[in-house]
Amino acid sequence: MDFTRVLTEETVSVALRAGEKPAAIEEMLDLVMAGGGVRDRAAALAALLDREARMSTGMQHGMALPHAKTDAVDHLRAAVGISPEGIPFDSLDGEPARILIMTLSPLNRTGPHIQFLAEIGRLLSSPAARARVLAARTPAELLAILREPAA
Amino acid sequence: MNPIGGEAMPLVLAAAGGGDLGPAMQRFVLQMAVILLAARLGGRLTERWLRLPAVVGELVAGILIGPYLLGGWSVPGLGPLFPLPAEGFPITPELYAIATLASLLLLFLAGLETDIDLFLRFSGAGSLVGLGGLVLSMAAGIGTALVFGLADHALDPAALFLGVVCCAASVGIPARVLAERRRTDSPEGVTILTGAVISDVFGVVLLAVVIAVARAGEGGEPVPWLRLGGMALRAVVIWVACTVIGVVSGRRIGRALKALGSLDVAASVALGLALLLAGAIESVGLAMILGAYLLGFSLSRTDMVHEIRRPLRGAAQVLVPVFFCVMGMLIDPAVLWGVVGAGLVFTAVSLAAKVVGCGLPAWFRGFNLRGALRIGMGMSPRGEVALIAAGIGLSSGVAGPEVFGMAVGMALLTVVIAPPVLARLLDGGSGLRRGVAAHEPTAEIALDLPSADLAEFLLGRVQRIFRDEEFFVHALSDTPPVFQIRKDDMVFTLELSEARIRLTCPKRFEHIARMMVLEELLSLKDLAEAAAQLRDPAALGGRLVDRLF
Repeated sequence: MDFTRVLTEETVSVALRAGEKPAAIEEMLDLVMAGGGVRDRAAALAALLDREARMSTGMQHGMALPHAKTDAVDHLRAAVGISPEGIPFDSLDGEPARILIMTLSPLNRTGPHIQFLAEIGRLLSSPAARARVLAARTPAELLAILREPAA
Repeated sequence: MNPIGGEAMPLVLAAAGGGDLGPAMQRFVLQMAVILLAARLGGRLTERWLRLPAVVGELVAGILIGPYLLGGWSVPGLGPLFPLPAEGFPITPELYAIATLASLLLLFLAGLETDIDLFLRFSGAGSLVGLGGLVLSMAAGIGTALVFGLADHALDPAALFLGVVCCAASVGIPARVLAERRRTDSPEGVTILTGAVISDVFGVVLLAVVIAVARAGEGGEPVPWLRLGGMALRAVVIWVACTVIGVVSGRRIGRALKALGSLDVAASVALGLALLLAGAIESVGLAMILGAYLLGFSLSRTDMVHEIRRPLRGAAQVLVPVFFCVMGMLIDPAVLWGVVGAGLVFTAVSLAAKVVGCGLPAWFRGFNLRGALRIGMGMSPRGEVALIAAGIGLSSGVAGPEVFGMAVGMALLTVVIAPPVLARLLDGGSGLRRGVAAHEPTAEIALDLPSADLAEFLLGRVQRIFRDEEFFVHALSDTPPVFQIRKDDMVFTLELSEARIRLTCPKRFEHIARMMVLEELLSLKDLAEAAAQLRDPAALGGRLVDRLF
């Protein structure tokens, strides 16, 4: 599945500024909004925080996948952000999040939404792939790396 | 020579009724009624009381009600229900037409059920095993024909025909035994099922060649090797070309069918295309069943395959017993009695051919003696394709009644003998030699829920989340509940036993499976909190308790 189709230079960042989890989620949501298609920021944020409250989306190895289903979007929307310093994210392994991937998917429409998340997760499951992503200096570079066929 | 051929057989019905089809149709409907009832009854009895595949009972029911036995007796006011014509084919073209349609439907479904990915992944061991069985089976059939004087030379159509019948393998019969013992995923199980598919594919192609040879050599003279090779080559080229075109365009056809909007309509259109290809293949001198099988094979990769199968399976459940019953009706018990010795020898040789021909390559591919025997026995039951081949042999004049009887008898006996032996062989340890790696790694997610009720509820929710992600969910079995979930090349198996849910898939897709189940469990947490507020049913309104007593 070509998930990079939903990503643009506006929706990726190589320098997230936030130092804490709630601020990071807001910053990521603003990246998603920059790509357009989100009708209601407050509703989207509430859905994201609701999902985090059930269980943190901080995975292992510095990856975090905050995501939610919400009426605020009609199609899958996504953003990818890099935090050079790392953000405490209540992760499974306690490591701060460095690679953040956010998805918003419509509530009552079928589509490969969780699959999308799982595919990105798998793409970044090797240390080498994560190192390449973390080495990106500009949004264009990050996008190019994400679009490379999985090595 | 060709009693069923189009121009050779004018519409008997119209002639008999002098233009009024009414009485003839009434007879036909009564015949179908008797066939349906007898086939179902026979199948049910053998399944229930003898614990044998239904096909055995359906065939025997056919022999009993056929024109040579009960069907030939005169019914007051009607005459014999299945009168035996003075010469030629023992049953009417209408009945044989229904049987032909059933066989095409059956082969189309068999093609649809072929798992190409599995086929390609395991084709190494599977094709060696399948081909080993084919070579010895062909030799066994030809040898039997020569020894019993049924053929003058090895290329005599009758000899080739016995060889082809001997080549067939059943996919369904070993599949059921393997599923009962939970060995479908085992290396032996996968090898048997792939090998059986390969045997059937080549069996169908070989049958096509034999029919072509028979048509060419009607003078009784041996067909020269060169011409035979040319015909075989032509059959193989057509087969390969159709397969390649089919596999390449399968998804496109699938998408076009999906665009029709209704799955029932898509299923009928797909069957229509299968019949169209069958007719086209026959017109170039090959067997029709090859066309039906190929279209099914082409569509087997599309993710809507289960959805097309469902309505067609309903039709097949009605028609296929009719086919087996009609095959039984074609058997003349007197002729069968005459070839009983040859038939028994043919059965023994056929069993040996598969056990040795399939077992030996398996042994070379890393199976131990136990594994090799399991595979050989699993490949032994000749199923539907052998009977279809037998029917085509008789109707096209390649096989006489003796050879036809031997072929059907052998197919029947192997179906009776092999499954219990296979079941017995499956007890016991690994069939692999030490140090041989098993097949592609699979991942399993097992969840133990606090109660069976909750597990059943979650099972439904997991299916829903996959459907929401545009996967196709299909029930393989109701008790115990087993579901196959697929999209493109992803295949998951979802099972429920007591309070345990198991989701298995190739390791490559484990991350998707985990994520899906995790998300569903998290949303279930919400539901649990909401449910906790349900403790007092009165609070819901509706006055559930008030008016109970």
